[in-house]
Amino acid sequence: MISPIHILTIGLGGAFALGFVPKKAKDAAAVIMLAAIALMGVLTGSWLIGLINGDSAQQVFTAGFKPPFSINLLMGLNEGALTTAVNFIGLLGGIYLYKYLKEAGNHAIMVFLIFIMGLNVVIMTRDIFNLFVFLEIVSIATAGLVILTETGKAVQAGFKYMLATGVISGVLLIGIIFAYYYSGTLNIDGLTQAHIGALRGGSVALLMIMVSILLELKTFPANGWGLDVYEGANAGIGAMLSAATATGMYYVLYKLLVMAGPEWNYWIALIGAVSFIGSNVLALKQRSAQRLLGYSSIGQIGLLMIILGFKDILGDNTPYVAFGILFSHYFAKAGLFWLAGIVKQSDIANWAVIRKKPYFLFLMGTFIFALIGFPPFPSFFAKWELVMELVNTGNLPWVVAILFGSMMEAVYLFRWFGYAIKGENENIEDFKIEWNKILPVGIVAIALYVTGYFTAQHTEAGAAINWIPLFFVAAIFILDFLPVFVKNTIAIIGMALYFYNIYPDLDNMRLVFEAIFMIGGILTLIAGYAYKGKRTGFYPVALLMYAGLTAIIEAQTTLQFFFGWELMTAGSYFLIIRGKRSMPHGLSYMLFSVGGAYALLIGLGMAFAGQDSLGMEIINTISYLPYWAYGLLIVGFLTKTAALGLHIWLPGAHGEAESDVSPMVSAILLKAGVFGIVLTLIGMGGESNSYPWLPYALGWLGAITAFSGNLMAVFQEDAKRLLAYSSIGQLGYIVLGMAMMTHLGWLGGFSYVVNHFLYKAVLFLTIGAVVLRVKTHNMYEMGGLIKRMPLAFIAVMIGIIALSGVPPLSGFAGKWLFYNAILEKGWYLQGAIMFFSGGIAFMYLWRLIHTVFLGQLKDNHRNVKEISIWFLIPIYLLLAGIMVYSVKPQWVLQPLGDMIAQWFPDGQLTWDGGTAFTKYGHWAGTAVAVTIIVAFLVVLALLLISTRKAHKVKQFDITYSGERPERPETTHVAYNVFEGLYKAMWIATIPLVETWWNKVTDFLHDTADIVRRIYNGNGQTYIIHIVLFIIVTYFVIIGG
Amino acid sequence: MTIAKLGYTLLGLFIVWNWGFLMGATFRKIGARLAGRYGIPFYQPWINFFKNIGVRTTITHGVMYYLGPVFRLTGGIGLFFFMPMVFTGDPNGHWTNFSFEGDLILILYFQLFGMLGMALGAGEGGHPYSAMGIARGLAQHAAVELPLTLAFLSIAIQYDTFSVYKIVEAQQGGFQNWVLFTNPFASAAIILAMLGAMGHSPFNLVKAPNEILIGPATEYEGTYLGFMQSAGSILHVMEAVLFMNLVFGGATSWAELIVKTFLIYFWSVFVGMVFPRFKIEQSITWFFKVPLVLGVLAIIVFSF
Amino acid sequence: MEYITITTGFLIILAGLWAIMTRKNIIRIIIGFSLFDTGIHIVMVSMAYVKGGVAPILDKNELLTDTANKIVDPVPQALVLTAIVIGLGVTALMLAYAMKLHSEKKSLDIESFKDLKW
Repeated sequence: MISPIHILTIGLGGAFALGFVPKKAKDAAAVIMLAAIALMGVLTGSWLIGLINGDSAQQVFTAGFKPPFSINLLMGLNEGALTTAVNFIGLLGGIYLYKYLKEAGNHAIMVFLIFIMGLNVVIMTRDIFNLFVFLEIVSIATAGLVILTETGKAVQAGFKYMLATGVISGVLLIGIIFAYYYSGTLNIDGLTQAHIGALRGGSVALLMIMVSILLELKTFPANGWGLDVYEGANAGIGAMLSAATATGMYYVLYKLLVMAGPEWNYWIALIGAVSFIGSNVLALKQRSAQRLLGYSSIGQIGLLMIILGFKDILGDNTPYVAFGILFSHYFAKAGLFWLAGIVKQSDIANWAVIRKKPYFLFLMGTFIFALIGFPPFPSFFAKWELVMELVNTGNLPWVVAILFGSMMEAVYLFRWFGYAIKGENENIEDFKIEWNKILPVGIVAIALYVTGYFTAQHTEAGAAINWIPLFFVAAIFILDFLPVFVKNTIAIIGMALYFYNIYPDLDNMRLVFEAIFMIGGILTLIAGYAYKGKRTGFYPVALLMYAGLTAIIEAQTTLQFFFGWELMTAGSYFLIIRGKRSMPHGLSYMLFSVGGAYALLIGLGMAFAGQDSLGMEIINTISYLPYWAYGLLIVGFLTKTAALGLHIWLPGAHGEAESDVSPMVSAILLKAGVFGIVLTLIGMGGESNSYPWLPYALGWLGAITAFSGNLMAVFQEDAKRLLAYSSIGQLGYIVLGMAMMTHLGWLGGFSYVVNHFLYKAVLFLTIGAVVLRVKTHNMYEMGGLIKRMPLAFIAVMIGIIALSGVPPLSGFAGKWLFYNAILEKGWYLQGAIMFFSGGIAFMYLWRLIHTVFLGQLKDNHRNVKEISIWFLIPIYLLLAGIMVYSVKPQWVLQPLGDMIAQWFPDGQLTWDGGTAFTKYGHWAGTAVAVTIIVAFLVVLALLLISTRKAHKVKQFDITYSGERPERPETTHVAYNVFEGLYKAMWIATIPLVETWWNKVTDFLHDTADIVRRIYNGNGQTYIIHIVLFIIVTYFVIIGG
Repeated sequence: MTIAKLGYTLLGLFIVWNWGFLMGATFRKIGARLAGRYGIPFYQPWINFFKNIGVRTTITHGVMYYLGPVFRLTGGIGLFFFMPMVFTGDPNGHWTNFSFEGDLILILYFQLFGMLGMALGAGEGGHPYSAMGIARGLAQHAAVELPLTLAFLSIAIQYDTFSVYKIVEAQQGGFQNWVLFTNPFASAAIILAMLGAMGHSPFNLVKAPNEILIGPATEYEGTYLGFMQSAGSILHVMEAVLFMNLVFGGATSWAELIVKTFLIYFWSVFVGMVFPRFKIEQSITWFFKVPLVLGVLAIIVFSF
Repeated sequence: MEYITITTGFLIILAGLWAIMTRKNIIRIIIGFSLFDTGIHIVMVSMAYVKGGVAPILDKNELLTDTANKIVDPVPQALVLTAIVIGLGVTALMLAYAMKLHSEKKSLDIESFKDLKW
């Protein structure tokens, strides 16, 4: 094995050799540089491989002396990995900057090489003075790169950077010399043995060393100089700073923290938390892409500092967690900076241009999801492990702080991503791509997926994750160039085969949900045949959502569950944001989802506390703060069921989604939240649940959600929003039913789960298909469509009868069960609110069918065609389901009842043929249906007999105040039809929840805007920040 | 379900149909006398009915329009089927129709069947007054439903059953056993909310003469109108029977039923004669005041 | 005596810092930085001082006597050389920056280089 000292040989030798390269031979110079970096990478890489295979770490001593009279380098596993990482990113960065450095000349090329070499030594060195020297080399190289290649703002930033790093390294130097004075050694190991922090005077020396390293890491808030460089410098240099320098500096902090001793852990974690939250909050107001990335980098380093501070608690898991976060950040941040250099748009709103080249959008998405910590990226697994361990050791406040910071990060990153996906991009000039720039970006993106996969394999629970659905998604992604018809067929066959394969392994409760997800998925996909062309990007994301849905069903461990949950969130986010005006709704959906996921994460962490496995059964036996744990789980799941207070994303998200996406996200996806609630409630002990207040609160929440969802639906003019609000209300019923925690309540709830799937899919599919034909969502712009689309009308009619609960259709089963359950449980007032909501539902249902299909046909719709056959097929299959359920309710309710009896054995329905009995009454579904049908037919026959020849009249053959109307618009009663109701109930329609969330976001943004003004752009102010930071940390840590 | 039962049920339906017509005529007669007019003869509804089904020409706006009255009449007949009429001590007695002990929830929700079909049929007619009438009707119906539901729940709690038959059974043995006296809050709520359910002035928003002709039925004539009049008369009686069963001890004979439904019906008529029509928002808020409070009280009293 | 040098060193450091934080002219700031650096160097050297010590040059004779315990610690002296070199490099680069900044805005006032902020 070549000694690691030869990294210096290669670096310096390469740099000297560059001096001999003629000025004109720029290509030669650049190639030499790349070769030198590659050589360093090979050297460190071979060490890394060797060390992984069990070679022992090597210490290198210069000049044959032992410390303190020589400097020494260590090549261990950590060093091997990090130097390889630095050289790898250095090589990619060099390739990325190839033309740029070439133009700047040989000097710049030289400096870049020295920069990478310096970082290698910074990572390997075990000597603090040597550390100082190479830190300075790195700083000077960075500033040198800037001045050699840039003009204007970047030079200003470079000067501030020089000033700041100059002062910081001065402080470091004073600390080093004092450390030497008190301990007699410069070697880190020697200082560790000497317990430098415990020596008289040594603690101040240590403080100065530690603080200067913290400052070098650009810790909030003394980091204005760093932000300016991130924003001002070339994106390629920003990428190096963020990926390479930060990685190296972080490792320095790690080394020095060992030296500083465990009493520093807490401070590092605290400073990290302040930095993480502070910079992520301030980033909220950022509009400049590169500066935003700078804030994010600083935040990520803060998070890594927290991990470092908890290294004693994380124990053997520390490298796993730290490397997971570090590598995600390293790849993703480099990728994003590089993208910023390709797109060349400073304002994040202008990033909409990126989707002119869709694969770039994919790259950007990869990086952003990796930063937030979505699966399958390493950060997901690392964050999971971190939270599990921290909760397990009782560090809840830290977890909350971490997740709050992550949440803020999600806000601005997804806002940015939202602009990229949906922003206005017509007037923005397209960007050019060069091979040397796109290659590194592609490589880091692939690297993220690969490292994610291997990170997962590292833990037992992670290794058990079923990757087949994800590979299927990847395959569909690769096949995205194919036409819709082919992809749709592949997707349907894939899902069908998958479902066929796994359904025997599922218990009944999971089977119910899996059937809704998979069969529902297939049915809604059938509608996709109606689309022409390629429908770029639709199939990968739709299948991603289904992959997530099936993963939560199949989950054996909480990790798998959370993995699936996040996949589903990601997939559904992309699906939702495909809609036309869906940018703000996509964002709020994502933020509520992320917030909910974090609540889940904490809840699952609490479930893990004190357990030795991650199996799903641990949520049945939570012993650590169980009230909070179950509460958090429920809140997490309620974000997906859009309970009141957490619902504001839903109307827009579902209303603006594409025609076949709305049923996917409304009829199918919402059930994922219900599934979670069901699991939690079972976990709380079913009938013998010992947390009575939670279901009680949940019950009221469900009732009020039902009421407000339905009431808001009444006042919508947009057909799809009406259905979206209706979904909120319906999910309120389900939540109320489940919260009752009785057999009947659950049966009612499950009855609604099945029913809502059936009729909401029918309604959304039909209305979606109608919207495709008439090109508007506004109901008052439609009317009289029964004449043009009778089949669609029948579908909607059956759908609304089922939804409203009018006998004999299936909805009545739910109503009947609820009445009985309410009476049994004694939740009369909640029940009354719910039944009142049912009455309100009737209004919007009538409005839906009347203003769209009845009344007056508009002139511009006289020639519209019946909705597409591809929509009609799934719609009528679903209608058949409703009909079977209606006529033979026992076929559905009996198995459901048997299933529920395992948790709620008391108070079951008793069945006598088709008649169900409770202690309050009975209901003969089939008999009632038959009675009504017979009566209907008899009356119909009578009418047919007495009006043998009804004369068909035309549309305007009505008498209306003595005039004969001719304009459908003036005759169609559609706009604001429930004005009277509004006058009576407007007070219940005040959007308090939305106002509240707006106030919260405004507050955060205003705070960010005020606080970020401390970065006033003046280099001197930044120095004052640094000095103040040192003083404050001195008083806080050493004490005044 | 013997042929005899079917026969009794159809006979009962016939009685109810005629009784509804007669009550309707009486109502109009009273109204006329109060206004100082002579008024219609008591047999006027039958004349209207036979004239309507006898007209030789009919029009149609389409299939749904055609089915509207079918839904409406089926709704009325179905409601009759599901309602136990005369209490005889036998849950499958002759005058219990096909009620299967009369499930209250079924009755409540089946009321909507006719309303819905009617709303759809009238909608296809395309007349603005139809839509206006329906919109008003639905809004008011929801408001009426709230105190009614609370009161019904209260009665269900009181007797621990949703079976109308059992509720009637429990009220036998003298008027002191009537819900009217055993559960005064629920009864008061029902008696007030009933005004809205009956749809007479001041709550006659759906048909609001002078404003929107006769609301949903505006576009209907001939046989359709005949069917709807029949449905209306049946539904009127059935509403009264429902309240009779729930609050006023039910009926043990047809005579008792006639008397009680007459009185219940005329409670709403008398109120209607005195008070002019509400606007829709006034109507809704009215139900949210006293009737709602009474309903909540009725629940509270019985939940402890 | 030993305290005089170290105190002087710290005073120079503070003077340099004061200049960096308060002077508006970039050249003055750089001079401030030089002072700051020099102060550090003085502190470093003075840390190695031993009362009555001798230069750390050893030959055979002196090894036999007790001189080895009296020599001034050579390590900080070695370090300070490196630090001076680095300080020189940093100062030079700063001056290069000053030139480039001046050529762009014709000003050396640090207040005029606030284009990047917040």
